Amino acid sequence: MTTTAIELDHLTKTYGARRGLAGLSMQVRAGEVFGYLGPNGAGKSTTIRLLLDLIRPTSGTARVLGLDPRTDAVALHRRLGYLAGDFVVDGRQRAGECLTFLGNLRGGVPAARITELADRLELDLNARIKSLSKGNRQKVGLVQAFMHRPELLILDEPTSGLDPLVQQTFLDMVTEAKDDGRTVFMSSHIMSEVEAVADRVAIIREGELVALDTVADLRARSFLTVRITFAAPVAATEFADLDGVTVQETEGSTLTFRVDGSPDALVKAAARHTVTGLRADTQDLEELFYAYYTGAAATA
Amino acid sequence: MTTTTVPGVSGAARACTGSIFAKTLYDNRRVFTAWALATGVLAMMYGAFYPQTSKDSLSSVPKAMEGFGLNDSSSAAGYLQGPVFGLLIPLLATFYGAATGARMISADEESGYLDLLLAHPLGRTRLLLHRFAALATGAVVIAAAVLAGMLLIRSSAKLDTISIGHFTAQATHLALLTILFGALATGLGAATGKGRPAVFGVTAGIGVAGYALYGFAPQIGADWLGHLTPYHYYIAGEPLKNGFRLADIAVLIAITAALITAGAWRLNHRDLAR
Repeated sequence: MTTTAIELDHLTKTYGARRGLAGLSMQVRAGEVFGYLGPNGAGKSTTIRLLLDLIRPTSGTARVLGLDPRTDAVALHRRLGYLAGDFVVDGRQRAGECLTFLGNLRGGVPAARITELADRLELDLNARIKSLSKGNRQKVGLVQAFMHRPELLILDEPTSGLDPLVQQTFLDMVTEAKDDGRTVFMSSHIMSEVEAVADRVAIIREGELVALDTVADLRARSFLTVRITFAAPVAATEFADLDGVTVQETEGSTLTFRVDGSPDALVKAAARHTVTGLRADTQDLEELFYAYYTGAAATA
Repeated sequence: MTTTTVPGVSGAARACTGSIFAKTLYDNRRVFTAWALATGVLAMMYGAFYPQTSKDSLSSVPKAMEGFGLNDSSSAAGYLQGPVFGLLIPLLATFYGAATGARMISADEESGYLDLLLAHPLGRTRLLLHRFAALATGAVVIAAAVLAGMLLIRSSAKLDTISIGHFTAQATHLALLTILFGALATGLGAATGKGRPAVFGVTAGIGVAGYALYGFAPQIGADWLGHLTPYHYYIAGEPLKNGFRLADIAVLIAITAALITAGAWRLNHRDLAR
């Protein structure tokens, strides 16, 4: 039993002149739910397709469950469940037929397991796949990824197209997989999707890792925006030397600050003047991620 | 462990979910049947004209077309080698190979389905061979349908100067020609990752150009050019008159094997397109 489920070492993939991944190094621990976040085109699917040996790295290495994705592909895929960002199968077949076939490629999955998952997600196995909506098609993808109880689930934007109720069922399935000691690696471009279940989160932008931490620690990194209105205009320079405080805007007698860490120093400095108004906003997590996405936040 | 069955899986469908090969055959059952019926019926219809055409033999075929084998309708074998086994059937075989081969790898790679299949415990070469075996099975069914059609009209259309063995030989050569063009399209898709229309177009283009080359080569006094096309090994040995031509069969099989091997090698060494 390895303690590292996925290990990337300077993994690089270039497509002609375009960079897909630029020297990405990180580890996913066995048994954790790992959120892989980034805007569209950041390299999330590229990473996942490298892990599955669908594409090959330009340089650097990846190890998955202790195996080489390339030379041990067949042995590795036996232990994986994969859901692609856009799940595609031949639309003429029925959902049940498709799932039975895919299960047989893995040596067979008990029919009871398939029907159990389908019932849970309210998927009609009799329906032809081309007649299914985007969300229902995604359910077929989820069933095929989970049905053989793989050690490692690699899910690319698993919740896309799912309604909120099914999203919740999906999150329950992820939690159960984790409780069974299995590892889940899931990508998303929306933080709130992974926030509820992820132990740790990595954020990538333009093929590079910009943050990797627990959700709680990432949250602790967020800053406070404080807006103070004074009775009379106050010079911004008065606050220039305060630790963790930067003046963002001066507008008449109203000053806007960005506070990283404790607001104590700012409050004491402001107390020397008559304060007529005060407003403080924590940056919410989506904003924080937006800042990482656009490169505005300091890289950790 | 359980007797539950998965809804949406009929008996036939269940029997065909055991491998990529069986599943591909099952998914293509209607297409393959249509090809076989259409080709078989066409061959039968044209073959049945023999009693009419044999009277005004050698009639109006231009000298320039002699290379296509359209100039000899004095015997049953000569006639069938012309419009039927010399023109209509091999061109249909070429198009079956191009169209089906373009769907074996290219179409699924284009749609993204190949990503899903190859994320399963299944090597790329194995996937390619299963798909190609399904295509080859379809080709054998087509050739068998043509053979059945010929045997059906053999006495009524006065084709009984050709033995059943020689008909079988011609059908075997036909199956191998069909499989060869299937291998070309499958191999092209596997090697390049190009989409289905491109693979079909290039394969069909090579087929038609090769056929024209084979037909016109004798007119320009360069018979050897015809030897560069698979059509030479398919019919120049006149299997309807001479039976199985083992050397020709070996060449057709060797080219097919080379195409599939090259395709598999490239497929294993490249990124899947997306």
